[in-house]
Amino acid sequence: MSDRTYEILFIADPNLGEPEVDALATLVQGYAEKDGGKLQRAEKWGKKRLAYDVRRHREGSYVLLVVEGSGAMVKEVERRLKVTDGIIRFLTVRVDEELRKAERRKAQRALGEEKRRGRAGHAPAGDSEVQQ
Amino acid sequence: MNGDDRGSRGPGRPGSGGRGGGAGGGGAKEGGGKRYFFRRRKVCKFCADKIDYIDYKDVKLISQFVPERGKILPRRMFGTCAEHQRKLTEAVNRARHIALLPYAAD
Repeated sequence: MSDRTYEILFIADPNLGEPEVDALATLVQGYAEKDGGKLQRAEKWGKKRLAYDVRRHREGSYVLLVVEGSGAMVKEVERRLKVTDGIIRFLTVRVDEELRKAERRKAQRALGEEKRRGRAGHAPAGDSEVQQ
Repeated sequence: MNGDDRGSRGPGRPGSGGRGGGAGGGGAKEGGGKRYFFRRRKVCKFCADKIDYIDYKDVKLISQFVPERGKILPRRMFGTCAEHQRKLTEAVNRARHIALLPYAAD
């Protein structure tokens, strides 16, 4: 039940150097792990221009952490993110259900295509080309 | 941001132009030929490209459907199906929150 996947994306203060951003990432990772979270993947996007000003910053360093854990874990991580200095904005999204759904749909489509091809005998294989 | 490539594409434009042409189609009658302007049917891009999950992090994809001013356009502009429009909206709102897309242009 508690096996949910969340994406934690946060924007760090652009004035922080690269090692400081790394430290922030490990700090947040520590928050998650303290409550039984498991890090799956971490990505650093580097400094990017923000679409609008956030806390009077025009830029920000984006860090993405993909974490497996429970809802309680996310709740705690979010609470801590709110009070952590150097983080100007964050977003947590639960992704496991959506991704699983997408995966299932993909599988179904592949199945349907095979069936169609089987029924038509030597059916054209290039129905993806038609759309272009 | 990277909305400058939108001018060349934008499947909504030829469609709405076709609608205007439909009215002009009456005038084409005197030519004695085709009465109706052939309107290309719009197909949901997400269905065509088989995109099941619209990722809020994929700004390049999303910004194709959001003009520079940052508004989400109605379905009729791009022909997206209801399901994908819903998912697109969700993705845009998430992207807005994390400052990947603007809420409103200034």
